[in-house]
Amino acid sequence: MAHEEHAIPQVPTHQEVASDIMARFQNVNQRYWSWVSLLALLFVGGIVGFVMRLSDGFDDRSNWGYYTATLSFLASTFLAMPIISAGLRLAKANWRRPLTRLTENMAITGVLIWFMLIPALIALPPTEGRLSVWFDFPHWMAFRGGNLMVWGTVVLIGLFLLWLLAVPDLAAVRDHMPASPRGKLARVLSVGWTGNTRQWRVLHSGALLFGAFYLLLYPTLQTLLQADFQAGLLPGMKDAIAPATALINALQGAVGLTLVVMYVMRRFGGYERYFGIDQFWALSKPLLAFSLLWFYFWWGSFITFWYGRQPGESELIRFMVLDSYRYPLMVSFMLNFIGPLVALVWNPVRRSIWGPTIVGAGVLVGALVNHIRWYVAPFSVPDPPAGEAWPHVLPEIPAGQLPGAADALIVVGGIAGAVLLFMLINKIIPVVSMWEVGEGLRLVKVRRFLARYAMVIAKSH
Amino acid sequence: MYYRRTLTEAQINQQLLGTVLTTPLWWIVLVSLLGIVVAGAVGAVGWMINQGLGVTGLRQPVFWGFFITNFIFWVGISHAGVMISAILRLSQAEWRRPMVRAAETMTVFALMASLAMPLVHAGRPWRIFYWVFPYDWARGIWPDVRSPLVWDPIAITTYLTSSMLFVYTALIPDLAIIRDRSTGWRRSVYGVLSLGWHGNPRQWKIQGFAGILLSALILPVFVSVHSIVSWDFSVSLVPSWHVTIFAPYFVIGAVHSGVSAVVTLMIIMRKLYKLENFIWEEHIDALARLLMVVALAWMFLFWLDLVFALWLREEQEITVWMLRMFEPPWSWLFFLFFMFSFVIPVPLWMFRRVRRSFTWMLWTSLLVNFGMFLERFLIIVPALMRKGPQTFTYATYRPSPVEFTIIFGTIALVCFLLLIFSKFFPLIPLWEEKEGQLLIDHVKVGNVYVPALVKEH
Amino acid sequence: MATQTKPQSATDRSTAFKWSMVIDLDRCTGCEACVVACQSENNVPINEESAFIEGRAFEWIRLERYWEGEWPDIKARFIPVLCQHCENAPCEPVCPVYATYHNNEGLNVQVYNRCVGTRYCGANCPYHARQFNFWEPVWPEDLRHQLNPDVTVRTRGVMEKCSMCVQRIRRATRSKTPSDIPDGAFNPACVQACPTSAMTFGNLNNPESKVSKLQNDERRYHVFEHLGTAPTTLYLKQVDTHGA
Repeated sequence: MAHEEHAIPQVPTHQEVASDIMARFQNVNQRYWSWVSLLALLFVGGIVGFVMRLSDGFDDRSNWGYYTATLSFLASTFLAMPIISAGLRLAKANWRRPLTRLTENMAITGVLIWFMLIPALIALPPTEGRLSVWFDFPHWMAFRGGNLMVWGTVVLIGLFLLWLLAVPDLAAVRDHMPASPRGKLARVLSVGWTGNTRQWRVLHSGALLFGAFYLLLYPTLQTLLQADFQAGLLPGMKDAIAPATALINALQGAVGLTLVVMYVMRRFGGYERYFGIDQFWALSKPLLAFSLLWFYFWWGSFITFWYGRQPGESELIRFMVLDSYRYPLMVSFMLNFIGPLVALVWNPVRRSIWGPTIVGAGVLVGALVNHIRWYVAPFSVPDPPAGEAWPHVLPEIPAGQLPGAADALIVVGGIAGAVLLFMLINKIIPVVSMWEVGEGLRLVKVRRFLARYAMVIAKSH
Repeated sequence: MYYRRTLTEAQINQQLLGTVLTTPLWWIVLVSLLGIVVAGAVGAVGWMINQGLGVTGLRQPVFWGFFITNFIFWVGISHAGVMISAILRLSQAEWRRPMVRAAETMTVFALMASLAMPLVHAGRPWRIFYWVFPYDWARGIWPDVRSPLVWDPIAITTYLTSSMLFVYTALIPDLAIIRDRSTGWRRSVYGVLSLGWHGNPRQWKIQGFAGILLSALILPVFVSVHSIVSWDFSVSLVPSWHVTIFAPYFVIGAVHSGVSAVVTLMIIMRKLYKLENFIWEEHIDALARLLMVVALAWMFLFWLDLVFALWLREEQEITVWMLRMFEPPWSWLFFLFFMFSFVIPVPLWMFRRVRRSFTWMLWTSLLVNFGMFLERFLIIVPALMRKGPQTFTYATYRPSPVEFTIIFGTIALVCFLLLIFSKFFPLIPLWEEKEGQLLIDHVKVGNVYVPALVKEH
Repeated sequence: MATQTKPQSATDRSTAFKWSMVIDLDRCTGCEACVVACQSENNVPINEESAFIEGRAFEWIRLERYWEGEWPDIKARFIPVLCQHCENAPCEPVCPVYATYHNNEGLNVQVYNRCVGTRYCGANCPYHARQFNFWEPVWPEDLRHQLNPDVTVRTRGVMEKCSMCVQRIRRATRSKTPSDIPDGAFNPACVQACPTSAMTFGNLNNPESKVSKLQNDERRYHVFEHLGTAPTTLYLKQVDTHGA
């Protein structure tokens, strides 16, 4: 802070910021296309892997473990991003403004994710003879229909929020480049936005309302994910905290992804003035908090299972924690808890660009490994013999399942597909929100305060 | 708006120190009345120690009842302090300022009340020292660290110690003000307590740093204390206790209960001490909005608890829940708890007029805490009543007058201690209020002057 | 006075005794002689009428009686329930003061003078085998001569439960090896009193003992086996020969 004490901080005007963002939006250069091509290639590889698995059919559920792990990793990390923007907007944090659009744009990956859900649902066994949240309802209507509906609603609300919060910027695109194909698309999407008071009020109320819906519905998605794809396949698994654990992990992953994306945009997109030390520093605190909570939620289920020494629980601990999936858990433990804790406790690490980014990247890798543990394990539990009900205790503990070639292609391809969609939407909707950053700049002044200069931020309720 | 700059420093000093420098009649009356109730409770405890736990309503198999309910309840209330002071301080929410000290002090006294409960409920309380103190007194045997009942005192005394440190550190600048305005022995006592505070930049810098450090360090304690208390139940084999969700469920419930208690405390304080200049509608509005979010999270965790409890369709688990929800009188208590903790307050809090009304907020916050006490009771007793399928040993539990006296005694104790505290220390931090007023500014946006805050660049 | 050995793991085979009990429900007539014998052997407090009204009457071994069926086909089913001396006892890790632990002879031991009465062990016992002294036990003057000098008289505020008459075990096995003690040489009071020999007690480490042989009986079962508590007390199912 010392070197800033006597410098007068510069605050740009909202017009400067708008024209800068628009210039970047218009510029679709060679580097962008090479990234898109690479991601498209990897995504095609993922489709190849998917077709390989499809040709093996759905009889052996263990073929679909890694696929489901990818699906859940994407649903947990990418689909949790709009929560960051909704939550920060609710908390009225001023530093959120440059990064809200990129988190909202991530909702486009919901399209891919929803379609990816369908094979995973087909791979699940029917609910007869098996304990599940659906309590013996006729199976296709209940858990398949129910899942598709809930996930679909979440995706739709995310897409709606993506569109709604982009309308003023789409209007700017429409006005700035009317002749180009993107401009024409923007004209359609901006539904005649002129920016009068009434429209702004509708926008803000809509954002608040649908943001709240998203916040309420997303935990239901995580509940179904954990209940149907994990707990329902593991005999004896009664883990009430699992959906909450999944939610916290999802939020941790989303914060990590935000940090990584911001860093990439700084490094390769030239967006340094938008994603500055304030954003990284401010996000490092929830990252640390979620990392501590990662351990806390994991421990809550572990101590209950381990202390109880009941037969069903002991088998599950041996399966998921102590024996078969010991190494994925250790990796995840280090990357999602120990690493962030040890790194982010230090002020200089938190208050830097590189610190939170490295930790965020580690968190993402750890989350992927954890999702592999969470979903490959239950998918590798074989069905009971025909006609028998599912047991209440794991009859024997399957060994850890390593990925095959198809699995590796699916994991890489799935993530690439999601990132690809994100890159494409960024050239339809500007990746930094002109109106939101502009709004923030209008509310900020620099004044002398005692011996130095400070930012004065208006709080308009 | 809470950014009004309405009071001079001298006015702040005079109004907030009024409680310390004068002794109104109502204070004496209230302290005496509460003192009588506390004395009654102490007498009841003495009677219980003399006669044995037979004076309570406890019996095989319901070995835990009102006392443990009260224990969990007070640990829950204690979470208010950290929520308000630490989390709101770290997130730089301006509206915390009038509440921080009262909430933190309530935490300290609530923890003291909660620690009294396990001491009182044990069969031989005079032997408890062997339990709590981590030392091998005789025969080479230490306390058993496998037991959640050993984790509990460690967690709670850690929380108590850090809360007391927190209160004290934040108190220092105000103690100096009182020192400067008193004479004689009072001056020397406050002088010692204020540790030579003179308000120079170096001291303020340390003070600020200490506040942030304590806030950050107390957060893990805050989360872990009620989780450890919840693991008393989770690690047991009792159906409906042996669930993994208890840790966050109890913590969120504690925040719900504690912040409601802060609302109650603030409104009563405002009335008794005439603090209308410091506690405004904006404060309880902000608290109510926080409560809504917390209550929704709590409802999610409650729903998870219920659904996953029934998931394995274990007979005993279902029996316990049937007892809780459908068999009178437990079903009436369940209905009341659900209504009071969630169904009545939360929809009401969605209305701005309710959030800004002191009367509505007082009654809804009291309702929440009554409901949360019932919630703890319903977790503990019905589960013990239907622990196993051996219906031959089924029994019911009815709390005795001794138990009621002791419960009311703890409530009276906390209020009593708060009143005594307010006699010696101001309940609203003077320096926080003054700092808040310094940071107020205005920004002209278009034709409108919008209230603004000064932030570090 | 009961003596205690140092706490050691239940799987430690360094001593040669592993006490166990088998209860044959086919032979049990529900006469409750075991209950009376236990009460007098172990100084269990007298249950007056007021204790029953309060629901605080207790026995270390109790006969649970269940009615099955509708009139006129009613059957009374009874089972003597006592501390099962679980190998995976849920009452042991939760005691804050090590007042209960598993000794190296397979018994779950209760140390009265260490107990502070938190009652967590009682809350965690699925068999309701543990009892708490809510009141100070009082014996009328003349009944005090009946008290067993080998067994502690408990005060209010401590937990107690079946100890497999550990005082008799100590008396019989002091300075002796297993080969010196034939099977059936001594028994806990309940086993001794049972008129139909429904209860058997012995050393599981002796393959020739009656309890060892009964471990493979086709009617064998443990109460609440699914909880994973691994009780050492074995029950033998009753066989109905008249219709249902």
